[in-house]
Amino acid sequence: MSREEIKEKLTEIFRDVFDDEEIELSDSTTANDIEAWDSLEHISLIAAVEKAFKMRFTMREVSGMKNVGEMIDIIGQRIK
Amino acid sequence: MIFSSLIFLYLFLPICLVVYLIARPIQVKNAVLIILSLAFYAWGEPTRIVFLILSAVVNYFVGVGIGAFKKEKYQKLCLIGGLIFNIGMIGVFKYSGFIMRNINAIFSADLPVPDIVIMAGISFYTFQVISYIVDCYWGKIEPQKNFFKLLLYVCLFPQLIAGPIVRYETIAAEIDSRKTTLNDFSVGLTRFVVGLSKKVILADQLYRIVEDFLGSSVDVLTISGSWYGVILYSLYIYFDFSGYSDIAIGLGRIFGFHFNENFNHPYLCKDITEFWQRWHISLGSFFRDYLLPITFFGKRNKYLSLFLVWLCTGIWHGANWNYIIWGIYYGLFILLETFIGKKRMNKIPLVIRHIYSKLVIIIGFGIFYFEDIGKLGTFLRNLTPFNPNGWSGYFEQASLMSNAFLIIAAVVCTFPLMNFFGKLAEKNNTAKAVISVSGTLICACLLAFSSILLVDSTRNAFLYWRF
Repeated sequence: MSREEIKEKLTEIFRDVFDDEEIELSDSTTANDIEAWDSLEHISLIAAVEKAFKMRFTMREVSGMKNVGEMIDIIGQRIK
Repeated sequence: MIFSSLIFLYLFLPICLVVYLIARPIQVKNAVLIILSLAFYAWGEPTRIVFLILSAVVNYFVGVGIGAFKKEKYQKLCLIGGLIFNIGMIGVFKYSGFIMRNINAIFSADLPVPDIVIMAGISFYTFQVISYIVDCYWGKIEPQKNFFKLLLYVCLFPQLIAGPIVRYETIAAEIDSRKTTLNDFSVGLTRFVVGLSKKVILADQLYRIVEDFLGSSVDVLTISGSWYGVILYSLYIYFDFSGYSDIAIGLGRIFGFHFNENFNHPYLCKDITEFWQRWHISLGSFFRDYLLPITFFGKRNKYLSLFLVWLCTGIWHGANWNYIIWGIYYGLFILLETFIGKKRMNKIPLVIRHIYSKLVIIIGFGIFYFEDIGKLGTFLRNLTPFNPNGWSGYFEQASLMSNAFLIIAAVVCTFPLMNFFGKLAEKNNTAKAVISVSGTLICACLLAFSSILLVDSTRNAFLYWRF
């Protein structure tokens, strides 16, 4: 799966989890850019991403991911 | 040793500053800080530094172990060993009495209840070392190979007793290299005086009134008397705790360390979620980073995570049921706000959100105050029209009249005054000069006034020393 494909799929998940059809993701998108993305919703988001891509994040990744770009990189490595 | 004591202000701190500023190079400065910090902690109760040093030694080896092993399996073993040790330390020193009392109560047993004096600061420094070893394991930081540098991180006296909970990565670079500029010194000193004044002029004076109301006469309080007492207690606890953080951050700055902020005018919050982003920030971010991402039998569940975080927040505050109730109480309001959702919350008129959040916080501190659950029940009833003592009485009216000035000052000081004057100073040079000179004068007056109050005070331990 290419980075673009991952991003597309992620966009769908984000829109679904945060209930906002207008979300557009870029590599530099962070929790500050999406109003509903707080530490608790982060857990729902992670769960949804893991389910969709059939992969697992480590605790370190869950707590330390800085932006969407980093999330895409991790997913890319994990589903090779 | 207590920050708000004459011996600290006029003996320990001056010696500390002179020796520290003369000492060179940085290795000697670090050694000075370690020795002074251990002396500070040992003051009055020397045995407790044994456990502080033990904690530093164990966590040093855990870090080194994590760095030395290549296989993740062994790294994990080191981490788990470290966590068991750290949580065990808090468990024994803070909760063993509570656990045994409850076992005795539940099983009608008669097991001996250990009578261990809670060591000041153990909850804070243990959380610091937990963050250190987890970050080492996660590869976020390089384990410290020099024991004394780690010891400095663990025992650094400004934040040792009551936070903020400083992450190793925040000060790792500054342990090796830091400079105290004249600006650092002046900003740090101002912050120190502000914190000391919050504690001595506001918190300690407020607490005297609180004791009169909640302490001794809770069952005869009227409705307005109960609210009056608990509102003052909420103000007290803010100035006590944030005053300590100001002192810690200010002292840190004087020594060239930049700690993260721990409070951001919490009573300006519009909802409970926001309150906890502004109150004791270092504890909230600790639980957010290290506890929230936990999975339950391999599954993620935000509700279970939420429950766990708030249960632990409650337990962390003390070995008593009221703290556990207090934690879960907050968890429920956070849950409620999650259900409502941010968008809908923002549509609620601002006034209503402010009233709602202040009510929750104030009643919450009522729960926090009463370790005796029976008294807590009486108090909660007395807040409502079910209070048999009526709506208002002479007691609170007289107290309000004679303390009006203090209470108004306290309420005003919950607003970001420093930011306000800071912004004003940016406008032009005249304003800057006026604010800078009057700021210095005000600080000098505050320090003098605090000292006078201290000469005459009997009770001044910081509340959070117990935790």
